[in-house]
Amino acid sequence: MLSLLGGIFLGWSLGANDAANVFGTAVTSKMLKFWTAAILASVFVIIGALVSGQAGIDTLKGLTSFNIEQAVISSVGAALTVAIMTSIGLPVSSNQAMVGAIIGIGLLNNEMNFSGLGKVFSCWVGTPIGATIIAVILYSGLARIYNKFDLNLFVSDIVIRLCLIAAGIYGSYALGANSSASVTAVFVGAGLINISSATLIGGVSIALGILTFSRPVMETVGKKLVRLDPFSALIVSLSMAITVHFYTFVGVPVSTSQAVVGSVLGIGIVKGANTISRRTLANILIGWLLTPVLACLCALTIFFLVHLYYIPPNYS
Amino acid sequence: MLSYLFKKQSQVEKLIYDYLDTLKLAQKSFLNALEACFLNGVFCENFEYLIIQTHKFESKADDIREEVKALMYEKALIPESRGDILLLLDSIDLIPHLFEQILYSIQTQKLTLPDFIVTDTRELTKISLECCDLVVREVTALFKKNERIRDLLTQIDSHESHCDHIERRIVTKIFDSSIDPFQKLQLKELVCLIGEISDQADRVSKRINIFNIKRRV
Repeated sequence: MLSLLGGIFLGWSLGANDAANVFGTAVTSKMLKFWTAAILASVFVIIGALVSGQAGIDTLKGLTSFNIEQAVISSVGAALTVAIMTSIGLPVSSNQAMVGAIIGIGLLNNEMNFSGLGKVFSCWVGTPIGATIIAVILYSGLARIYNKFDLNLFVSDIVIRLCLIAAGIYGSYALGANSSASVTAVFVGAGLINISSATLIGGVSIALGILTFSRPVMETVGKKLVRLDPFSALIVSLSMAITVHFYTFVGVPVSTSQAVVGSVLGIGIVKGANTISRRTLANILIGWLLTPVLACLCALTIFFLVHLYYIPPNYS
Repeated sequence: MLSYLFKKQSQVEKLIYDYLDTLKLAQKSFLNALEACFLNGVFCENFEYLIIQTHKFESKADDIREEVKALMYEKALIPESRGDILLLLDSIDLIPHLFEQILYSIQTQKLTLPDFIVTDTRELTKISLECCDLVVREVTALFKKNERIRDLLTQIDSHESHCDHIERRIVTKIFDSSIDPFQKLQLKELVCLIGEISDQADRVSKRINIFNIKRRV
């Protein structure tokens, strides 16, 4: 169990941070009570992990080979990266940190599955782009239907509320399905646990993060999303969920925050408004480049520290 | 099932219709007060009673508005709808305030209407109150989608222009007359207050139109 702590911490931080992208709008605008949202998100994260979490685990464990020590080092390295980047206020994706740490182990082993790595990187780049495209298509299509029905204020309010809750549930399912791999894939690779236990531990640790620490993040991130009109906020939640779910089928854990940024960008394209700042785009680049590099360095550093031996001066 | 889940929402909707009914009652009482006494050129005993009645309906409308606000603070509706409804009610609420203000002006200043402006003032009052009726229909159309908001907006706009025209005509007649200059100023102020009813109705109407446009995505 102790060996799994790094992974569990990673899952916990993932849950604490990413629940905001799923239910942030509904909770911040007080459409849904925090605890209702947190319980719904936790339940569906676990269901998502158990039902569809396997594909991501297969991809990540296939990037290199692990022994138990290396699995622990990579998960602690990724967790440390998340902690460092969060403490200095930089955006961080737990999934990208985990892949960075796996690359570190791959370099040590001098064994790296480059085609798998290429697939992961292309999915990372594809996440915001895909979310943008999905948001544009969804907004254009659903807006036409919404306008056609010409709902009155009260009915439209009910419809949007229910859809936001449904999108949040779907987003939670997609989050669990997509991200549980980052938490436990290395332990499956090292033969420490089997896939069923891995998806369960992944889902539960993400749910733990949602239940214990997602409230402040949800309130901060949610406020940014709430500035969008309710219909746009719904499209953002929905396109984020669809994007993340799509990459779950591909088998690559991706960042929900980057999917949200892509979706907001898509809304901006449809409305002809500038919805994303350069700073936000720079944050994505940091996520793509700095997070894996730092995680790789952390994993390597931990490995060398673990293998340092004290040799007394008079030993020879 | 849905009405149970969205109980606060149904309560808000019901309260808004109650508010509109109360506005109509205040309007009726205001018109009765003017018709019964002032527009006929004589004070009558009923006037005091009708002022109290108008005040009661105005207070009741205020209470309903406060109740809607309290429900909104309990997180009924999504934030954007909350803001729209509160702005709308605050804006409509100026109309019963105007009714009260006009009646109090007549009461406290002991105003009497010279014969040469009675017909015009009656017409101004009638069209101003028609604007209020149209506003009530427009608010209902916003919530029930039973009428085209754009059509009602156009009607209110044209009524408001007409009221402005009558208002100018009355004020000109007042200042062309040989009545006491102090009385001229009092009457001018009163006519402007009556004219303000249609101006406020027009502002509410434009606001409703914006809320309606905003809801299209």
